[in-house]
Amino acid sequence: MRSRFDEQLALLNKELITMGALCEEAITLASKALSEGNKETARGVVPIDTDIDQMERDIESLCMKLLLQQQPVARDLRQISAALKMVTDMERIGDQAEEIAEIISFMNKLTAVSHTQIREMEKATIKMVTDSVDAYIKKDIALAESVIEYDDVVDDCFNHVKKDLLDIIAANPKAGESALDLLMIAKYYERIGDHAVNIAEWVIFSITGNKKGREMS
Amino acid sequence: MTKRIFRSSLIVGVSVFVASVALIMGVLYHYFSDITRSQLNMQTTLAARGVENAGADFFAGMDLKDYRVTWIDTDGSVLYDSVSEPEKMENHAEREEIKQAFTKGTGESSRYSSTMMERFFYCAERLSDGTVLRLSIAQSTQLSLLMGMFQPICIVAGVAIVLSFILASRLSKKVVKPLNELNLEDPLNNEGFDELSPLFRRLKSQQRQIRSQSEELQKRQAEFETVTENMTEGIVLLNSKGTVLSINHAAARLLGAENTSVGQDILEINRSLKMQELLRESGKGKHAEKIMELGGRRYQVHASPVVSEGEVPGTVLLMLDVTEKEQAEQIRREFTANVSHELKTPLHTISGCAELLANGMVKPEDIPTFSTQIYTEAQRMICLVEDIIKLSHLDEGADAMKWEEVDLYQMAENVTESLSAESENAGVRIMLEGESTKLNGIPQLLQSIIYNLCDNAIKYNHKGGTVIVTVKQQEQTALLCVQDTGIGIPAEDQNRIFERFYRVDKSHSKEIGGTGLGLSIVKHAVKLHNAVLELDSVVGKGTTVTVKFALSDSDTASE
Repeated sequence: MRSRFDEQLALLNKELITMGALCEEAITLASKALSEGNKETARGVVPIDTDIDQMERDIESLCMKLLLQQQPVARDLRQISAALKMVTDMERIGDQAEEIAEIISFMNKLTAVSHTQIREMEKATIKMVTDSVDAYIKKDIALAESVIEYDDVVDDCFNHVKKDLLDIIAANPKAGESALDLLMIAKYYERIGDHAVNIAEWVIFSITGNKKGREMS
Repeated sequence: MTKRIFRSSLIVGVSVFVASVALIMGVLYHYFSDITRSQLNMQTTLAARGVENAGADFFAGMDLKDYRVTWIDTDGSVLYDSVSEPEKMENHAEREEIKQAFTKGTGESSRYSSTMMERFFYCAERLSDGTVLRLSIAQSTQLSLLMGMFQPICIVAGVAIVLSFILASRLSKKVVKPLNELNLEDPLNNEGFDELSPLFRRLKSQQRQIRSQSEELQKRQAEFETVTENMTEGIVLLNSKGTVLSINHAAARLLGAENTSVGQDILEINRSLKMQELLRESGKGKHAEKIMELGGRRYQVHASPVVSEGEVPGTVLLMLDVTEKEQAEQIRREFTANVSHELKTPLHTISGCAELLANGMVKPEDIPTFSTQIYTEAQRMICLVEDIIKLSHLDEGADAMKWEEVDLYQMAENVTESLSAESENAGVRIMLEGESTKLNGIPQLLQSIIYNLCDNAIKYNHKGGTVIVTVKQQEQTALLCVQDTGIGIPAEDQNRIFERFYRVDKSHSKEIGGTGLGLSIVKHAVKLHNAVLELDSVVGKGTTVTVKFALSDSDTASE
C-alpha cells in the first residue's frame, strides 16, 4: 500500500518537473519570437500552452486521487497540496507566455526589438521560473528564497521599461501602438515573475510547512 | 531453540503426568467403590438387626452420619427416612433394590437420585416382619475425586512447567554454545564436531564460491567504472522509470549532476523537452538521438533502449561532443563555397576573352592584350589550385613528406633573392639578417612559410618601406622573424587572417593578387613543425611575424 503511494508521489513529482520544463520552454520560445520578430516562432507557443493546460488537469486529478485514496498526512499532505497550488501558477505562466506570443503575432510593425530593458526582463523572468522549478526539484529553500528576492529586479525592470516607453511615445506619438504592445508584454513578464515567486513560496511551504504571508502584487 | 526444547519437554512431562493421574484414578475409583459398597452391605445388615431388635426406637439412637436410612413398609410406603419427611415421599415399591429385597431378602443398586442430584449406592434388606430397611450412600464420582485433587495437580503442573523451562533453556544453551563458538571463517578447522563435518565442508565450499563470485563482480565493476570514468563521452544508465542507475564522471559534469545522482530521476537532473522526448522514444524501444547544448558545447545525445524479452527495462544515454565536428564541418562548407567562388572568377574572365576571340570580335591589334589577360588569369588559377593542393596535403598530415636537415638562413636567402624583382616593383627594400641556423624540417613547407610571409610583407607595404627577415638561434629555439613597415592588421582581424580565403580588405584583393590561402598554409606548416607563431601588428606602422621552432637535441648537437 505504502509503496504504491510512494510510486504515485514519485509520479506526481515527475509530472510537476515535466510541467515546469514546458513552462520554461513556453517563455523561452516567446522571448525568442520577440527578439527575432518571428511570428512563426510565436505560433509555436500555442501547442505548448495546450500541453500545459492538459498537464494541469492531469496533475490536479492525480492530487485529488492521492488525497482521497491515501489520505496523506504531514509532509506528504503538504507536498500534495503545494503541488495542487503550484500547477495553478504554472498554468498561468503558460497562459501568459501564450498571451505574449499572441501580441507578437498581431504586432503591426514587427521589427526585432532590441529594447535592452525588456531583454533583461526576459532573462530575469526565465531565470526566476528555472530557479523556482530547480528549487522544487532540489528541495532547496535558499534557492527558493533567492527567487522571491529576485522579484524586485523584475519589478525594477518593469518600471524602467515603463519610463522608457513613455519617453518613446512622447518623442514619437506614431510609435504609440507598438509601445503599448511592448508595455503589455513587459507587464506579462512581470506577472510571470510573480507566479514564479508563488511557486517558490509553495516550495518553501512543502518543505518547512510555513507559508510566507506575502500578498500578490 | 529454547522454545522448542521447552515445548517438547513440557509435552512429555504433562502427558506422563496426565497418564499416571488417569491410571491412578481408574484403579483407585474401583477400589474405593468396592470398599464403599461392602461397607454399605455391612452397615445395612447391622442396621437391619438393630431395627428388628429395637423397632422404631433404633432410629433415635442411630449413629450413621454418612448414610441415608429409609424404612419401607410392605406396601412400599415410607415409614421413616433420615433425610426427608416420610409423608412427603412417594411410594418406593417400584425401586429396584426394594423389589429385589421383597423377593430375595436383599437388594442392591446404584443410580442417580433425582432428589439429591448425586450418584447413590443403595442396599436394602427385608426384615422378619416383611418391611424393608434401606441404606444409601453418595458415591464420590471421578470428577469430584479429581476436583478434590485440583490444587496438588496445579502445583505439580506448575513445577513441571518451571522445571522444563529451566531445563530447556539450559539444554539449548549447552547445545548452542559450542555451535556459536564455531570458527565459521575457517569451518574445517573446528575439532570435536564430527557429526557436523558435512555441514562444515558445505560451508567452506560455499564461502569459496561466494568469495570468487564477489571478486569477479568487483573486477567487472572496476572494469566497467574504469572504462566509463575515463571516457570523455557522457554515459548514463537508466531503468524503465527513468531513475539513474549509473552515471559516469563526464555525464555528471555535463548535466551538472552531483555524486548523489544515482537513484534520482533523470528529469531531476535535466528536464529539457529534448531529453523528455528522447526518453519517450527509447521507452517505446526505438533508438533516438538529438543535438543538445550542455555547458556551452553541443552534444549529440543518443538514447538507446535496452531490450530484453520484448520489454524495455532500461535506457542508455550516450553524449558525444560534436562541437568541433560541427565547427569543422562548417569550415569545410565555407571552404568549398569559397574555393568554387575563387575558381569561378578567373574562369569568367578567361571564358569571356576566349569567346570574344573565337567570334572574331577582337581587332588583331588587341589580341595580345586579350591573350595576356587569359594567360594571367590562368596563372592565377594555377596558383590557386596549387595552393589548394598544398593545403589538402597539409590536411592529410606530414607523414608522406620527408624530414631533413635544413639551413633556415640559406633558405631565407634564396627566397629573398627570388622575391627581389617583386620588391623592386613595389618599391620595398628587403633585407636579410642573422646567422646560419640548422634545424630538422620539411624543406618544401619551410620554404612556403618564408615565401608567404615575405610575399605578404612586400604586398601589404607602403612604397619605400622595408622588410627585415631575421634568422637566428636563441637557446633551444630557431627564430624566423619577418618584420615590415606596412599597413598593419586591425586587432579585430588578427585572429582571422589565418583562415582560408580571409582577407582584411576584401575590396582590393584582385589588385594585390594572391589566393587568400598563404597564411593558412603558413599556419598549417608551422603546426606540423610543432613551432609557435606569434603576430604583432599595429595598423599603419607594420607587422612582425615570428615563428619559433623548438630545436631537438640532435639539431643542436649537429652544429
